[in-house]
Amino acid sequence: MDLESGPELEEFRREVTEFLDSAPTDAIREAGRKTTSAFSPFDETIAWQRILHEKGWVAPGWPVEYGGTGWSVEQRYVFAEESAKRGLPPLLPNCLKMIGPLLIDLGTEEQKAKYLPGMLSGDDYWTQGYSEPGAGSDLASLSCSAVADGDDYIINGSKIWTTLAHRANRMFMLVRTSTEGKKQQGITFLLLDRLDYPGIEIRPIIGLDGFPEQCEVFFDNARVPQSGRVGEENQGWAVAKHLLKHERGGGTNSPWHERFLGRIKDAARVRTSPFGGVLAEDPVFCRELGELEAEVASVTALERLAVSGHAIADNPAFSSMTKTINSELTQRLTTVLARVTGEDALVLQREALEVGGGVDPIGDDIDLVAMPYYLNSRATSIYAGTNEVQRDLIARTLSSR
Amino acid sequence: MDFSFTYEQSMLRESVTRYLEKNYAFETRQEIVRSAQPYSSDAWKTYHELGLLALPFPEEAGGLDGSIVDLIAIAEPFGAHLVVEPYVPSIMLAGGALAAVREQPLAQQWLEKIIEGEAIGAFAHEDSHRVGDAKQGPVRATASGDGHRLEGRKQLVLAAAEADVLVVSATAENGAQALFALEPTTPGVSLTPFTTIDGRSAAHVDFDGVEVPAQACLSADAAEIIGSVVGQALVVLAAEAVGATGEVLRQTAEYAGTRHQFGVPIGSFQTVAHRLADMKMDATKAQATLLYTAALVEAGTATPRDISVLKAQVGRLGRKVAEAAVQTHGGIGMTDELAIGHYLKRIVLIETIFGDSDYHYRLVGAAN
Ligand SMILES: Cc1cc2nc3c(=O)[nH]c(=O)nc-3n(C[C@H](O)[C@H](O)[C@H](O)COP(=O)(O)OP(=O)(O)OC[C@H]3O[C@@H](n4cnc5c(N)ncnc54)[C@H](O)[C@@H]3O)c2cc1C
Repeated sequence: MDLESGPELEEFRREVTEFLDSAPTDAIREAGRKTTSAFSPFDETIAWQRILHEKGWVAPGWPVEYGGTGWSVEQRYVFAEESAKRGLPPLLPNCLKMIGPLLIDLGTEEQKAKYLPGMLSGDDYWTQGYSEPGAGSDLASLSCSAVADGDDYIINGSKIWTTLAHRANRMFMLVRTSTEGKKQQGITFLLLDRLDYPGIEIRPIIGLDGFPEQCEVFFDNARVPQSGRVGEENQGWAVAKHLLKHERGGGTNSPWHERFLGRIKDAARVRTSPFGGVLAEDPVFCRELGELEAEVASVTALERLAVSGHAIADNPAFSSMTKTINSELTQRLTTVLARVTGEDALVLQREALEVGGGVDPIGDDIDLVAMPYYLNSRATSIYAGTNEVQRDLIARTLSSR
Repeated sequence: MDFSFTYEQSMLRESVTRYLEKNYAFETRQEIVRSAQPYSSDAWKTYHELGLLALPFPEEAGGLDGSIVDLIAIAEPFGAHLVVEPYVPSIMLAGGALAAVREQPLAQQWLEKIIEGEAIGAFAHEDSHRVGDAKQGPVRATASGDGHRLEGRKQLVLAAAEADVLVVSATAENGAQALFALEPTTPGVSLTPFTTIDGRSAAHVDFDGVEVPAQACLSADAAEIIGSVVGQALVVLAAEAVGATGEVLRQTAEYAGTRHQFGVPIGSFQTVAHRLADMKMDATKAQATLLYTAALVEAGTATPRDISVLKAQVGRLGRKVAEAAVQTHGGIGMTDELAIGHYLKRIVLIETIFGDSDYHYRLVGAAN
């Protein structure tokens, strides 16, 4: 990786910053300030996606022929950095980082033609239907069944923790098509091109922050077309494993961690230490902040090496490592932010968190988001495979057992 | 030294627990939190009938002369059931301060009403930690005519919005901590009411040129009184945290025994089992610190350092246990529907108010 920026990259940075400073609406910026988890406020984030799509910048990670930007690794990093610096809402990951890349790799030409444009434009939102009440960490034991009937499947069963299903119009899911043999062998990967098929019912679940984000989805003899299958019947486990790499995968998290550090520092500048002076100058606080900054620096280094193609990322458990490292760093950052805001973060402010709700927060924007961020970050070590499961996967690559 | 509850204390604890089990199940608690009322007046009435509202006060003030150990005997079940009634703000803090200066007629009047459940008190003590706006700085008292004038902000005053009387600490011109009693309707007092993350009612209270008469000043030099009142309240809050910690551990251990993945209970995975063991050790340390500190307080030998040790330990250990409880539950631990996350929020609040764990650890370290 070339660490020298060079005039071309600086010219690119100028172009990016100019656009990022002018294109987002006030509502989109507000949504960025009111983001409290990996899922930024839906409507405004989709609006931002539409704007980026029009500009041709929506999917830096995609191949050019499918709508990617053709940017170099450095350019992509610059874009992520400048977006994070401005606190713009991160685009929702499901289409752009999960099902889109999967279809590009494994979908039929027909599926790609039919689905990729809507994923890029923001016209479609895809929810992920894997987990079930009885199948979380042990995903392969899933039981939601699909029985072939003519050109269709008839689906029965339920999914849970399906993030933003209540806002989605499509779903990619895992269904059981066979109970013979090993449990991994009877699973099929299926695309639902609609969520309003008769027999599908979606019920939102309220989270620790008081908002609906996850859902339960019930299937009662729902008839859906077989043409939505990705790969062969009963071969869905391999498809899902392929996708997991995208879901957990490296990406560029460090600009967001940097942004978070910035917010911690902002908060520390306007609060007094009980031991005198402002918190930002309190040596004990500086010691703690220093460790956090160093942790972020190490993650930045790791990500930069990884995107440069360095062998450090060739480890078969690399995505498990980055998932675990990033989630636990996020938890530390949110914990410290909540502690810096202190009692100001203890105020429950659901109305003020609504984008465009017009309700002023008690305190400032940081007071508003610190506690929901802390609470929501508890989930980062649970979703996309719990950190216990990741540690198992990492350990497996270290010694034979 | 005997750290066990006496027969009477066990009986009292039993009757509180029995009442809460019957009338304060988690779903009922959630209904109370969602209702327009800040707390359950039925529950408050029952606490009055059980003598809890009079418990900490001296007999001559109309109280039951209860000890700190009596108080933790009931506060642990309060914590285990996540009760939202303003016991700490009205009884321990406002009531405690009023009792300490009950030779003042105004204090005795309010205290009687609080003990009878006819009035709610709030204790406006913690200053804002924000820099900048002087109006939002610490509350100061200056002489004004025959009385005093109050200016500044108190933050996160529990139960302020429903309080009939505010007991307010303020820095006087000579630098001493003075204590005032006034009604929230006094001109110049304004409230920013809100709900806290753990479902309680609280407010920031602004004093904008508030004129109070001389008799509203309960004490011109109240630092010691405040220290002792806050100290007692912290022991009771710590007991709530310990009660919550024990209960969230119990529910998590139960869940780990019944939730199956990969064909076995998740509690049989070594990571999960060891985490439960850590939770148990943390909860045990927190409880031991509580019981020992309470005994010191009862013996009159507790130092501020002992109180800081307790506050910091129950906060940090309790939060560790509650965070581990969420993790052990997986997705369902992240839902509003389950009590688990509500224990986390309660413990986080207790850890944060009246000086967070970091603050108290620094006091402990500096006290050597
Ligand atoms: C905010 C959020 C968003 C989510 N979004 C989606 C989504 O969009 N789509 C979707 O399909 N799913 C989603 N999930 C579900 C998520 O993938 C599951 O919660 C996760 O896989 C864990 O499953 P579980 O909740 O059933 O917990 P369980 O599997 O029951 O785990 C409970 C505990 O046991 C531990 N455990 C389990 N097995 C082992 C083992 N073998 N060794 C050691 N420890 C073990 C776990 O680590 C955990 O601590 C989401 C979850 C959350 C919290």
